[in-house]
Amino acid sequence: MSETTLTQKILTTRIALVGNPNVGKSTIFNYLTGLNQKIGNYPGVTVDKKSGFIQITGETFEILDLPGTYSLFPNSEDEIIAHRVLNHTKLEDRPDFVLMVIDSSQLSRGLFLATQLIDLGINLAIILNMVDLAEKRNIEIRTFELFKSLGVPILSTDARNQKGLDEVKNLISQRNFKKAKGFLDIQQVVPTEILSKVRDKFDLENNYQAYQLIRFGTKDKAIPASDRAYLEEVVQSANFDLEEAQLEETKIRYRKITELVTNALVKKSIPKPASNLDKIFLHPVFGYVIFAGILLLIFQTIFTWASFPMDLIDGLFADISAGLAGMLPDGPLTRLLAEGIIPGIGGVVIFIPQISLLFGFLAILEDTGYMSRVVFLMDRWMRPFGLHGKSIVPLVSGIACAIPGVMAARNISNWKEKMITILVTPLMSCSARLPVYIILIGLTVPDETVFGFINLQALALLSLYLLGILGVLGTSLLLKLILKTGEKSFLLSELPPYRIPRWSDVGITMFEKSKTFVFEAGKVILAISVVLWVLASYGPPSRMDQIRMDGESKLENVSDEAQIAEIEAETTSLLLENSFIGIMGRAIEPAIEPLGYDWKIGIALITSFAAREVFVSTMATIYSIGGDLEDELTIREKLDQQVNANTGQKTFNVATSFSLMVFYVFAMQCMSTVAIVKRETKSWKWPLIQTAYMTVLAYVMSFITYQIFS
Amino acid sequence: MTADSLPINRAGKIIEILPSPLKINLMELGFLPGRQILLQHLAPSGGPMAFLMDETLLALRKSEAALIRVELI
Repeated sequence: MSETTLTQKILTTRIALVGNPNVGKSTIFNYLTGLNQKIGNYPGVTVDKKSGFIQITGETFEILDLPGTYSLFPNSEDEIIAHRVLNHTKLEDRPDFVLMVIDSSQLSRGLFLATQLIDLGINLAIILNMVDLAEKRNIEIRTFELFKSLGVPILSTDARNQKGLDEVKNLISQRNFKKAKGFLDIQQVVPTEILSKVRDKFDLENNYQAYQLIRFGTKDKAIPASDRAYLEEVVQSANFDLEEAQLEETKIRYRKITELVTNALVKKSIPKPASNLDKIFLHPVFGYVIFAGILLLIFQTIFTWASFPMDLIDGLFADISAGLAGMLPDGPLTRLLAEGIIPGIGGVVIFIPQISLLFGFLAILEDTGYMSRVVFLMDRWMRPFGLHGKSIVPLVSGIACAIPGVMAARNISNWKEKMITILVTPLMSCSARLPVYIILIGLTVPDETVFGFINLQALALLSLYLLGILGVLGTSLLLKLILKTGEKSFLLSELPPYRIPRWSDVGITMFEKSKTFVFEAGKVILAISVVLWVLASYGPPSRMDQIRMDGESKLENVSDEAQIAEIEAETTSLLLENSFIGIMGRAIEPAIEPLGYDWKIGIALITSFAAREVFVSTMATIYSIGGDLEDELTIREKLDQQVNANTGQKTFNVATSFSLMVFYVFAMQCMSTVAIVKRETKSWKWPLIQTAYMTVLAYVMSFITYQIFS
Repeated sequence: MTADSLPINRAGKIIEILPSPLKINLMELGFLPGRQILLQHLAPSGGPMAFLMDETLLALRKSEAALIRVELI
């Protein structure tokens, strides 16, 4: 094993794909690697490492897709990664070559980063992408002029229409990359003696590498502390203003690029005016109306389209479980497989329709250029809460399901804004809370109309959703004060021209997101569901055996089918009550009594940590409701008859029911969310903190609710 | 004047970028002295502004636009 990986490491040529945001870099990446992609980690950051493999004439190349960046200056986690991979000369997975993608209609901005790469002494080739767009704007690039001035190979492509991509493959297989001579002499802005000192100390190839290290090394946690201290000292002893140098570098570089571009660019005629679509999409009123309409359409579609495959998956896994239980000899192992593991896997797979559909829509919105308009419209309303315009997507997705919401927070580059978004998204009332809400509202809120048109039950449901949103805003405000970051929050983004989405990219996004969820969050979900199953199925053996024996002896004397069903349901209920979870439910009773719950509800609170909708089925088991669980009327009637052993009143009176609903608004109660937050934040710290504060919040709010209504 | 007070659909020529931690971010996007920007869209209630520069539409927060000193042309 180790031998093969070793040879692979030596043989595989690694090529990094670099470029500004929105230049079609991911289309080129998808074209080259197809579904042969993998997602890994960079140490210490939440940014994913995206790479893929391509075989050209029997040779394997690894393509590393770096996050989009405008320069080598690290302003956000994304850019830190790009900065690190390109700068750290001794990094283990440093690329052998770099392929830089430039938007042909944004030549000078792209050349800013390209010339920095040239100055770093990187083996480079440039792709001038989106030539179709440049043509539309009547821009012609004299590629040869550019090549003469820069000294690195240049290709023109139109990746969207698959033009010129074979040439990219050829370039890769021929390793047609060049290390050009420097573009800008950094000695113009940084004293030579500092540069050579650092160059010698760190054994660097050129002055620009030394400059990058001096400018950013002191803040780079990937560099040993002693080296950082050394850099600090060098700068201080020379009494030298680094920031000023960086600004000076930017000015000189752009000046040189402008000269270059004037020679290499031909504007054939006055360009046509930009598209008028923004007059509608960015309109101060219609802009928001259209956004709301698009959201409504997306949710409508997700609910309609996702429910069919979800039911199918549900049924399929139930069939597999039943089939296995029938085929294999009865025993603990069979039960573990049929009742623990298979339903656990089913519980992971069931999310795929929602995740893939939502990300399919998000990819379309992103690809058409509409998403950046949404950010433009929403930023002002998100900022007071410590959120970014980009936070609107995760939050809104949270109405369907927190999992794709949390995954969508990855696009937010500012660490603090990303963390707040991830931490509050599960407070949006997701679709899994709906069954709980509906049962409890049905129990306690009369189906009456007030003021002629407002249905009280609908009003109650709406209030619960609004309560969730209030929770989101309040928690965000609090986190805004608590979380600290050195990063500045900024918008500064391009509103790219509207385009038709690339369907193959949309498909790849849907596939990759589902794959990430299943293979990375799936492990945790499966583990927790097996643990929960064991706790719910096993208890102190003597008591469990006694209950089973009692049940069997009762069954011997009856023949009526209805009676058999009743006895069986009773036995199941007793088994759950005496299982480890049942014991835990009793143990937490003193803690939940102030909320108006008895130990039976306590059991349901514990089991429904797997997923909120489990509350309903647990209640059905505890109250021995046999028969069809789909029929919520039976459950509701049964629940309505229950009497709380402590108070002698109806268990599900108004106070308790309201308190429970409020509990489900705020409590985490979803192991899949815990798993995905762990995956996205790359640590257990955040999901644990999140679960803790959501539970505390739920407890306090339910307590207040119960006290008000009782 | 600064770019955030530019009237809608009016162009300005950038004179300088005022000192701020965001100065470098603005400059690397191409906001450089001598270039022309045209205010094309405004989000309501003091929200972001979209400027047209060299045929690219760039979105900035009002506070970020306030860092760009311009003269009306």
